Amino acid sequence: MARIAVDRELKKGSAELLVLSLVERRARHGYEIGKLIEARSGGALSFQVASLYPLLYRLENRGWIEGQWVEKAGQRRRRYYRLTKEGRKALGAQRQRWRQFVEAIHQITGMEHA
Amino acid sequence: MPDWKKAVRERLAAAQLDPLSESDVVEELAQHLEDRYQELRANDILDAEGERRVLAELENHDLLANGARLARRRMTLRPSVGIPPRRRGYMAGFLHDLKIAFRNVRSKPAFSVMVIAILALGVAGNAAIFSIFNGLFLRPLPFAESERLIDLDETAPRWNLKNVGITATDFYEWRKSNSTFDSMAFFRGSSYNLSDRGTAVRVNGAQVTREMLDVLGLQPMIGRNFTVEEDKPGGAKVALLSYGLWERTFRGDPKVVGSVLKLDEEGYTMIGVLPREAVFPDRAELWTPLAADPNNGNSYYVNGVGRLKAGVSIEQARADLLRIHKAMIPDGRKVNEITSPVLMPLRDRYLGDFKTASHVLLAAVGMVLLIASVNIAALMMVRGAARSREIAIRTAMGASRGRVVAQLLTENAVLAAIGGAVGIAVGAAGLQVMVSQMPDTIPQWVSFSLDGRFAIFCVAITGAAALLFGLAPALQAVNVDIRGALQDAAARTTSSRGRRLTMNALMVCEIGLTLMLSISAGLLVEAFRKVLQVDPGFRPENVITFRLNIPDTTFEKSEQKIAYYDNLLTRLRALPGVTEAGATSAPPLGGQWGGIFEAEGGRGFNAQGENPEVLRIAATPGYVEAMGMTLLEGRTFEQRDGKPDSPQVVMVNETFVKTFWGQGSPVGKRIRQPGGKDWYEVIGLLRDEKHYGLDQEMKPSVFHPYAKTIATVDRNDARSLKGMCVVLRGSSDPKIVVGAVREIVQQVDPDVPMYQVEMMTEQMDRSLWARRAYSWLFGVFAVIAISLAAAGVYGMVSYAVSQRTQEIGIRLALGARPGQVLGQVLLGGMALVSVGVGGGLAGALLATRLLRTLLFGVSAYDPLIYAVVVVGLLVVGLLANFVPARRAATVDPVRALHFE
Repeated sequence: MARIAVDRELKKGSAELLVLSLVERRARHGYEIGKLIEARSGGALSFQVASLYPLLYRLENRGWIEGQWVEKAGQRRRRYYRLTKEGRKALGAQRQRWRQFVEAIHQITGMEHA
Repeated sequence: MPDWKKAVRERLAAAQLDPLSESDVVEELAQHLEDRYQELRANDILDAEGERRVLAELENHDLLANGARLARRRMTLRPSVGIPPRRRGYMAGFLHDLKIAFRNVRSKPAFSVMVIAILALGVAGNAAIFSIFNGLFLRPLPFAESERLIDLDETAPRWNLKNVGITATDFYEWRKSNSTFDSMAFFRGSSYNLSDRGTAVRVNGAQVTREMLDVLGLQPMIGRNFTVEEDKPGGAKVALLSYGLWERTFRGDPKVVGSVLKLDEEGYTMIGVLPREAVFPDRAELWTPLAADPNNGNSYYVNGVGRLKAGVSIEQARADLLRIHKAMIPDGRKVNEITSPVLMPLRDRYLGDFKTASHVLLAAVGMVLLIASVNIAALMMVRGAARSREIAIRTAMGASRGRVVAQLLTENAVLAAIGGAVGIAVGAAGLQVMVSQMPDTIPQWVSFSLDGRFAIFCVAITGAAALLFGLAPALQAVNVDIRGALQDAAARTTSSRGRRLTMNALMVCEIGLTLMLSISAGLLVEAFRKVLQVDPGFRPENVITFRLNIPDTTFEKSEQKIAYYDNLLTRLRALPGVTEAGATSAPPLGGQWGGIFEAEGGRGFNAQGENPEVLRIAATPGYVEAMGMTLLEGRTFEQRDGKPDSPQVVMVNETFVKTFWGQGSPVGKRIRQPGGKDWYEVIGLLRDEKHYGLDQEMKPSVFHPYAKTIATVDRNDARSLKGMCVVLRGSSDPKIVVGAVREIVQQVDPDVPMYQVEMMTEQMDRSLWARRAYSWLFGVFAVIAISLAAAGVYGMVSYAVSQRTQEIGIRLALGARPGQVLGQVLLGGMALVSVGVGGGLAGALLATRLLRTLLFGVSAYDPLIYAVVVVGLLVVGLLANFVPARRAATVDPVRALHFE
């Protein structure tokens, strides 16, 4: 059970961390977020519509991000998501946890290599 | 360009979002798809291929729909939700679950309504029947320490009598010598013409010994109890008023004490008012002293009630009284060899007749509730399976399993609470209807109002139902295989073995219970039909009866009484619309006057005390004709039979002939009271009139001419002739003549009130009330059970088929013929139905034995009823199986396989 729990937390946590990081500096719309994840990971990570949007809604729901319809000249309106104050706190905490986790992994795997 | 919005909307349909959030989500997702599509086009991917790829990304639409639903739903609830669960307390978590539960209940209206309706049905039946049972058998009587109150009587099996009544000689001795009772009181019902400023009204009263208040643990509210002197033969004429009569007639005036009231034209001094709680003897509005003569050892005419000493058991008291009773034999009470005291708890004496029927009904509604619960459990399993993917997603999205189970249980609790509330409301209404239909044989001290015990009972059954049907899906949810559930394919293959077994077991139980209930109902309805077919021995149609009571003070001599009835009946017969009129001391279903007879040349002649009790009826000429009784031989009474110098004649009924002579014509034979010098000659033989009710045994009976009898009877028998019943047969509806009849009664003597005006058919209906009620209720329960079972089987088989769509598609694609598929699904379903029927049959054979006392001669194993019910249920099962089986056979293999 414990193993599965770690796994689940990780998967869930990592996806949240990715999205929160991408909207940290500026507001972005869903398609852009999806594209950026794919592009910046060199295609290793990709989100399908069916899982990306539920995730966005969940984060919005939690009050970590906030969506807003924005109309730009010559374009149809899109929903842009930006990080909220609470989201910023959460992002900080998640980054911290993630760093610790990576470090832990690194220590273990690093020792193996040494 | 493809219509992205349409594509998204289709895939979101399952989420059932509110329109506002749906349009938001659709717009956002459509924009995403459009962006993706344009991107593909920019990469030179052709339109059709581009569209295909974009839509492919949208697949896993269940995930999308569920994800969107969960997310969006919460959004609308801001700010109370969205706070991470661990920061909320249990209460907040529960409130949250409750909100979600209510929304889920609303979002599946058909399913919710079905569950609520099924549960409400079960609860309503139980609530109503339990209230009746509670009122009759559980609720304490309205007296202090009522469990110590014991009914006292004498029994004489050799006289063919269960309850004989008690003689004054016996009760004086019991009361004096016993060591097991705190107090003992004796009473008899009576009624009086109460004259109040010119108009006479009829009031029911009781003659009681002065210990009655002690036994009931009560004190007079105003005034005092009877004195020892007043309760002796020849004591002063005094009376205690009931609270109700005091309020009604004297408007609660406390100065009524000391005033004189005319009862049957005699002055009685009011010495006090009884408290409101004095509701025993039943319907007595006035108490007068019994003032019994201790030397009267021949009249078995009073009932008794005693209060046991604390710590004394009824068995000890029984032994005590039996010892006293038998000790009187050597002192000349030879008759006490035949009679013995009989004791039972007060409640059993007055309500014992209802015991079997109410137990059986309680069992029946319990079974309906069980069937309903089985059905709901099955529904929940089906729904739980359909929801396993949603549950898996929620688990994947971070909901703990505990939270998921709590959520499901809350949802079921909400359904159970609504169903329970609706059921209780319907049950309370049903109870009102049933109580309003109850006959007046149920004592007034029984009340059926809702009480704490009832509330506890209702909460318990709804709670149990919630737990019962909440358990299955909740357990399933915990065992959900997330990965499997998320992979669509896994969920559509055959359902897991455990779940299938559970569903099969539920189906078998449901069929079995339904069969048991239906067979019981069939037997009871058949018994009722048989009772209705019984020849009552008279024709109740167009007959109206009313009572008269002519007071001894103004009609002192028997000639005066005879003249009164002659005059009255002659005038009534002259009324247009009246074809025949007569009077009797005891019409069918009303009145009892017993005596012992012996028949010349018949069985038991000259055998002291061996003969059974005979029902004696006094009747005027015209009574047999007015009641429409059947004269089998000889003649009925004529005016000459009442003349003082005429010979003593009687008519007897068939049972009398059977009991005393076995067979042959009784006309011309003679009967007498044991050892008496007067012989009565039999002049007519009448068909048995069902005097005690259509479903009751008839006693031997003797009819005497009223005029002759009133002139010769002793003081005690005269009481039985005091209140007479006038019977009118009309040419059409006799109700139309009531006004004219009342006028004539008033003209003949304004001091004689006419009361209890009733149609004979109504009295017959009322006498069958209990049997009609339970037969009818059983029938209703059976119909409900059958409908529930049909719906349950249909639902479960449909579900099984829907789970196998893919498998069936493969088999069809591989060449199976639709007929084979149909046959196979039908066979599987009917195998279960048959197992259920088999189990139900075994159960019914055991259970219907408990019904035996209610079956009126119908065998508890009546093969026809068993066959009809079994075949009927098999047909219902077949139909419920056929629809889904046909659906399976018409599965399109291409579509079934293409489903993913």
